[in-house]
Amino acid sequence: MNRSIRQLAFGLMVCYVVLFAALNYWQVGQKEELDAKFDNTRQILREFNRPRGSIITADGVVAARSIPDTTNEDLDFAREYPTGDLFANVTGYFTKDFGSTQVERAYGDVLVGSTASQQVLALVDLLEGNVDNSGSVQLSMRHDAQSAAKFALGGREGSITVMDPNTGAIIAMYSNPTYDPNVFVGDDFEAAQQAITDLQNADGNPLLANAYQERYMPGSTFKVITTGIGLETGVLSRDTVFPNERQYVPPQTNDPINNYNGSECGGDMAEVFRRSCNIPFAKTAIELGVERFVEGTEAWGIGEQIPIDLPRAATSTIGNVENLDQTLPLLAIRGFGQSEDQMVPLHMAMVASTVANGGRMMEPYVVEATFDNAGRELSRATPDVWKTPISPESAALETEFMIGVVESGTASCCVDLDGDIQAAMKTGTAELGVASNPDLSHAWIIGFAPAEAPRYAISVVLTNVQSTEDVSATGGRLAGPIAESMLNFLLTGEGAT
Amino acid sequence: MSTPAAINDIGSAFTDQTSPRSPIARRRRNTELALIIMVGLITGVAYTIAALGTNAEIPPGIVVFVAILLGLLLCAHIAVRLVARGADSTLLPLAALLHGIGFVMITRLDDRLAGLQATWSLIGIFVFVGTLVVVQRTNDLANRKWIFFVGGAALLLLPMVPGVGQTFNGARIWVSIGAVNFQPGEFAKIALAIFFAAYLAERRELIAAMTWKVGPFRLPEPRYILPIIVAWGFAVVVMVGERDLGSSLLFFTLFVVMMWVATENAGYVVIGAVLFFGAAYFSWSQFSHVQLRVTNWINPWDDPLDGGYQIIQSLYGLADGGLLGTGLGRGNPGQVPEAQNDFIFASIGEEFGLVGATAILMSYVLIVGAGLRTALRTERTFEKLLATGLTTIIGIQAFIIIGGVLKVIPLTGITLPFVSYGGSSLIANYILLALLIRVSDSAARRLNELPDDPTTSERWQAWRLSRRIRKAIKRGEVPSDFVGVVS
Repeated sequence: MNRSIRQLAFGLMVCYVVLFAALNYWQVGQKEELDAKFDNTRQILREFNRPRGSIITADGVVAARSIPDTTNEDLDFAREYPTGDLFANVTGYFTKDFGSTQVERAYGDVLVGSTASQQVLALVDLLEGNVDNSGSVQLSMRHDAQSAAKFALGGREGSITVMDPNTGAIIAMYSNPTYDPNVFVGDDFEAAQQAITDLQNADGNPLLANAYQERYMPGSTFKVITTGIGLETGVLSRDTVFPNERQYVPPQTNDPINNYNGSECGGDMAEVFRRSCNIPFAKTAIELGVERFVEGTEAWGIGEQIPIDLPRAATSTIGNVENLDQTLPLLAIRGFGQSEDQMVPLHMAMVASTVANGGRMMEPYVVEATFDNAGRELSRATPDVWKTPISPESAALETEFMIGVVESGTASCCVDLDGDIQAAMKTGTAELGVASNPDLSHAWIIGFAPAEAPRYAISVVLTNVQSTEDVSATGGRLAGPIAESMLNFLLTGEGAT
Repeated sequence: MSTPAAINDIGSAFTDQTSPRSPIARRRRNTELALIIMVGLITGVAYTIAALGTNAEIPPGIVVFVAILLGLLLCAHIAVRLVARGADSTLLPLAALLHGIGFVMITRLDDRLAGLQATWSLIGIFVFVGTLVVVQRTNDLANRKWIFFVGGAALLLLPMVPGVGQTFNGARIWVSIGAVNFQPGEFAKIALAIFFAAYLAERRELIAAMTWKVGPFRLPEPRYILPIIVAWGFAVVVMVGERDLGSSLLFFTLFVVMMWVATENAGYVVIGAVLFFGAAYFSWSQFSHVQLRVTNWINPWDDPLDGGYQIIQSLYGLADGGLLGTGLGRGNPGQVPEAQNDFIFASIGEEFGLVGATAILMSYVLIVGAGLRTALRTERTFEKLLATGLTTIIGIQAFIIIGGVLKVIPLTGITLPFVSYGGSSLIANYILLALLIRVSDSAARRLNELPDDPTTSERWQAWRLSRRIRKAIKRGEVPSDFVGVVS
């Protein structure tokens, strides 16, 4: 009988080896595939059953927090956004059924307390009886500045970005259309699904943050970049003079390039800049040639994803550059921000910041610091230079040009800061060239203040604005007052610090 | 006149309370004690971590819990030390480990069930001790094989009795008498294993002889295998009738294995396999509930919200656990229906990870190893077959349910021995464990690893006998039944 018993032992052993193999198959081999199954809610259930920390603005207002969920027996916590749509584009959302975005996504590990440093600190806390390991995220953004931006935009489609040019810290970043995450973080799956589907199908992509996840034709604000490239390469200088002319026919075509509204425009560098003539910048682009122009724009970060600490930032572009030397008229037009040029509004604020910060473009960030549950600091933003496209001398010169824009140029109508504070701005009116609606434009303004010791850089864009017979929809006229009110609010108004 | 001295010798041999020393037995028991204390600590730590993970607080009664746990385990250990001190040292600690981990998982899943399971644990340990004390000689079992046959059959039939039997989750395996609910099938399997072992031990040569010629085939004499066929057919038919496919498969495997080991004829395995797959095909083609099980096994994602829900959630849980697990109390094993019962292995896999689930598998492998080693060591046929049968029950039952949870075989509802929630299962498995330990101890005594001390009841009988003799001698009578002994 012993032989049979030994064979039985072997047989049972084989059975258990099979079980062990199956266990490995499911827990290791198929893990990723199973985790990714659409109806697998384990990950989310786990996160919703743990306390999740708050997202707090620089001035101490809670933008996102967890509250005990008393209505759903599966979940212990629900997410709440007390500021409604105000910070939606930055905090993003954290949902059971539709994933998570923005800070909720990028800083999810801090919020639930799963970073290595939190886990270590948690061991100490555990002995003191504290097992809530959630962390909190403090934004560099201010609730009052964000509210002012929302008010200034007044429901119009577009975005406002205000940042500290010296550090890259974003102070305000608001855009329309936006959304209120509270409408789809609730327990009612059907209602939430309907709400999020409606938002996905709505015009203007409200779920995307226009300020850093979309890009728009920049119009004349791009001339800050072209001027910078010209100055750095020696193609332009303070003394460069352009003739007064109405039309310019670039190489390889018979179609002339016009100035805005077909006006006659020319003069020295400061004058063509403040009057925003098109022809001088078209000529500059042609003189630079494709190679130097493309390299120059790359030095400004065009073609690279914006290095903000939020997921899925957009990338600015000057369009397709292959065979551009065969289509030089397109190069000429891109020199003044039309054609295929597409800039992210945040990137334009960074362009203004570069001039303000002596030629150094800082990496933008929205998260100032993170803290563990006991309030100990886990991390703090450190200002980092992303690009250095121009020298301090060129930056000083461009600052001079941009002051001219405010004093006697395209923004003189509309930007005059309180308390004799000098602003330096550049306007832009991107003509979208829609055949059925030739008057449709994006109205831009970028700049900074105070000009001599810059504290805030700003970019404002109103998208898809319509010129009427009485009012031409220019950047100066439409975006200028918005920038003015924001800078006044921050420098001398209620938000002055 | 040498008679009185001889009588005194006999009396003192049987009544002497101080056992001769046995280093082997002492070493085994000390090993067992060390392992038991380790199990107690592991369970206590796991219990604390689970409470931290779920309620975020150290359980207030942790000291009491660990004290009671260690107390219970020590009770079981002392019982083994007193009445089965030669037994294998790993069986009890392994079962206790499985029981402890299972209890922690149940507590973590459902506080209310944890209270009940604590009561069952208490009863389980006392039944374990009771079984060891009552069954001190394996022959006591073999001599009562017909009682086990009738008892086992009655237990199997009980759920089918109207008014007593209860249907739960589609299976009629519950019995309700007054306030007591239990699954008699859990006990029937032990009774039938004892019967098979005893019957086959007596008749195995006759059965193996194959003296009945049917055409070109030689078969065992029908009258020798008839009782076994009846017992097995009974079990299988009743189980299929009660729709308890897992137990049915378990009985079938038990029967085939015991016939094979008893006769050393692997043909029984072949015939068993043919019969099994035939029966499986037949029930698949005839019964919709069997078809459903097979469909849900092959592709649960065809019906992810109903038929396949349980297995899908179980696999998601396992995958979520991954290599190291989500951590006790940090996963969501409650997503799987019957997580505390048939699917407790998935809960363990989710929160303890591959590492922890492998430890559970290893525990069963080690129990099977210890059980079959006992079967190999013992020289008595009945003990060999009993140890084989009992070990097969544990090994195959765990395989059937873990295999079902891991989608290796179709899912059949059956408990995971020692781990799953449930009083009947726990108590029955502790009886089984006690019997296995009894066989192991008996084998050690036969191998002269320790002196074969008389049991308490043997001492009691001997003491009564010697007293009668002394009295008779005092009175000057020679008792009639004593004459034969001395002359």
